[in-house]
Amino acid sequence: MNRLTGFSRAGMAGAAILVVAALVALIAPLLISADALDVTRVTAAPWQTPGAQHWLGTDHTGRSVALLVVQGAGTSLFVGLTAAVLSVGIGTLVGIVSGHFGGLVAGALLRVTDFFLVLPALVLAIALSTVLPRGLGTIVLAIGLTSWPSTARMVRAQTLTIEARPFVERARALGGGHGHVIGRHVLPSVVPLVLVNTTLAVASSIVAESTLAFLGLGDPTRISWGAMLHQAQLHGAVPQRAWWFLLPPGLAIVVVVLAFTLVGRALEAVVTPKR
Amino acid sequence: MTPEVTNPVLELKKLTVHYGHKRVVDDVSLTLAPGQTLGLAGESGSGKSTVAMSVLRLLPRTARVDGEILLDGHDVQTMSWGTLRAVRWASASIVFQGAMHSLNPVRRVGDQIAEPMRLHGTPGRVTELLEQVELPLEKARAYPHELSGGQRQRVMIAMALACGPRLVIADEPTTALDVVVQAQVLTVMKRLVAEQDLGLLMISHDLSVLAETCDDLAVMHRGALVERGCTREVIANPRHPHTAALTAAFPVIGDPAHRWAEPAAAPEPLLEVRDLVVDYGRTRAVDGVDLTIGQGEIVALVGQSGSGKTTLARTIMGLRKPSSGRVIFDGAAVPLKGRALKAFRRQVQLVLQDPASALNPRHKVLDAVAEGLRVHRIPGDEESLVTAAVERAELRPANLYLDSLPHELSGGQQQRVVIAGALVLQPRLLVADEPVASLDASVRGEIVALLLRLRRELGLASLIITHDLGLAWQIADRVAVMHQGKIVEQGSVEQVLLNPSHDYTRALLRAVPQV
Repeated sequence: MNRLTGFSRAGMAGAAILVVAALVALIAPLLISADALDVTRVTAAPWQTPGAQHWLGTDHTGRSVALLVVQGAGTSLFVGLTAAVLSVGIGTLVGIVSGHFGGLVAGALLRVTDFFLVLPALVLAIALSTVLPRGLGTIVLAIGLTSWPSTARMVRAQTLTIEARPFVERARALGGGHGHVIGRHVLPSVVPLVLVNTTLAVASSIVAESTLAFLGLGDPTRISWGAMLHQAQLHGAVPQRAWWFLLPPGLAIVVVVLAFTLVGRALEAVVTPKR
Repeated sequence: MTPEVTNPVLELKKLTVHYGHKRVVDDVSLTLAPGQTLGLAGESGSGKSTVAMSVLRLLPRTARVDGEILLDGHDVQTMSWGTLRAVRWASASIVFQGAMHSLNPVRRVGDQIAEPMRLHGTPGRVTELLEQVELPLEKARAYPHELSGGQRQRVMIAMALACGPRLVIADEPTTALDVVVQAQVLTVMKRLVAEQDLGLLMISHDLSVLAETCDDLAVMHRGALVERGCTREVIANPRHPHTAALTAAFPVIGDPAHRWAEPAAAPEPLLEVRDLVVDYGRTRAVDGVDLTIGQGEIVALVGQSGSGKTTLARTIMGLRKPSSGRVIFDGAAVPLKGRALKAFRRQVQLVLQDPASALNPRHKVLDAVAEGLRVHRIPGDEESLVTAAVERAELRPANLYLDSLPHELSGGQQQRVVIAGALVLQPRLLVADEPVASLDASVRGEIVALLLRLRRELGLASLIITHDLGLAWQIADRVAVMHQGKIVEQGSVEQVLLNPSHDYTRALLRAVPQV
């Protein structure tokens, strides 16, 4: 009872924002014509201040900033979600395997985890995205491959806690093998934590995507919030005092990341048993 | 029999405590004079700990307390926050149950003993306190994990005495300790009470512990005080049926009425352990053990904690690899891995000490019992097999319980679920690690009777691991006494417990509290 009301305040607000963002991301590409976003075909003048026709003004090529922000939601959310799932997936696998089997396997996996943990994730992601061919897949890979170690550590700790409980010993005495212990006892108690971690990872993945795109390492054929900031920076939005080109994508990132964090924290409060 | 109470340290007048609408303490009145020792007995949920906590106003905010609690004549209920702080520890202190959890793991115990003295500005020296509880002085610099369970409990007692209180409340002070250490801790407490003219309120579910320490005894049942009087009289002639049930639950070694196992002819061997050695790194936990369990025989393996008895049991079950030696089951060596080990595990089942943690809190009773069936992919109607096993474990009718989660069941019911989970595989040997240690007195007898009935009806052999010699007397055919990794004595129950030949067995028997 109490847990539900605890969730309903901030968490529900976050969830509502996410639903709106997801709907916008899904519907926008269907409503916006390709012409409106094509640099060669737009008719409006560049650097227009916000007005009745262009609510958020136009960019350096005359495209509507409002349309760009709406169009960019899809890319940001897609990269955020897939990268988070990838990183949490790797992290969960490494965590459970190293926690359950112990010994040499765990030693080797933990050293790899530590290696990725001490390496600055951003630098590694930049290196990866410069080496690999440019594209959405590369960004997802770069973020996913660099952000899993913290999940792995957490899942490993939870696995060790569960494995120390007498009911796991009972399961072993009943004749249960590795698959049984992991599938019936470890996974069900790790999943809620992983779920919470995923929502939080989405938030950080969106920030990471924006960072990479801002640094010009994104997919140049796609519009994303980070890429918009990159364009704004590149084409002198600051000396132009074109605040309408900088603020909307920035605020969009902040709001969506905040929403994911709120949902994640709310879920965490629900999942974590209170004593 | 109660001595003339002139100036009681503690007086409870019609104490009643509610949690919401639930009445957990019901109209309890008690008095305790200096130098008097009072035992408060009762099962879990009887409200005995709530009474103890109410004395220092340590109950959670949700508790509603009515009646008077007079500490040295002052009502605790109406004290200001400052007065209450001054009273806590200086006039009444508590020895808590789990010394490991009540001590701060990252501070030296000497500092922790000094903490109440510093807070209250009481003069005194940690060394004197350590001397009083018979701990070596250099232990003041030790951290809690460097001390044994008995030493930690002594630290707790030293801490309770730090500010020279007039009343000490001991809440299950020896529950987690084995018999020998328990006897030592009780001796220390008894001596200190006599020397310092303290009032002692001791809470326990174990009547024999209270009988050993306290002159007077009060029995609580469902929040109410059902009996109060001189300990010897209460135990010898219980007037309330609940008191009678409590006294009956603790077996007296040597009393034929408490010997429930019926004599059986020497059986064919089912499990043989030959010269088994198990090492943990450099320490040798099991050191050359020979042990035989016959078909349908109940063998008790007794010894102090740390004697290696649990390691021996784990090795027999194939949960741990022996360093050398052999385990032979039904004429063949126990396989160490693979499918053969899995098949062997079907025949030997484990029952753990604490049923609450032996069951996955997320699994329903049906899933918990069926776990073994699923692991071994046993054909047949799962639900009917589970129902049969659950009813064998005397949870009737089974369909009332199958959909429950463990936390909805009582301790005894949980232990029956664990036993049912073992029975469903139709094992031939049950290895039970302290099967009744965490259960209430009245439930304990029922589980012991269940184990004996399973032997009678199914021919199920058991290895019972316990530090409780009374349990061995009650249930076992043979007893093996383990000390520092070796079996120092084994033989029939009568021979070992009534006529011990090894010094260690005699020491164990001496430590058993006498009712």
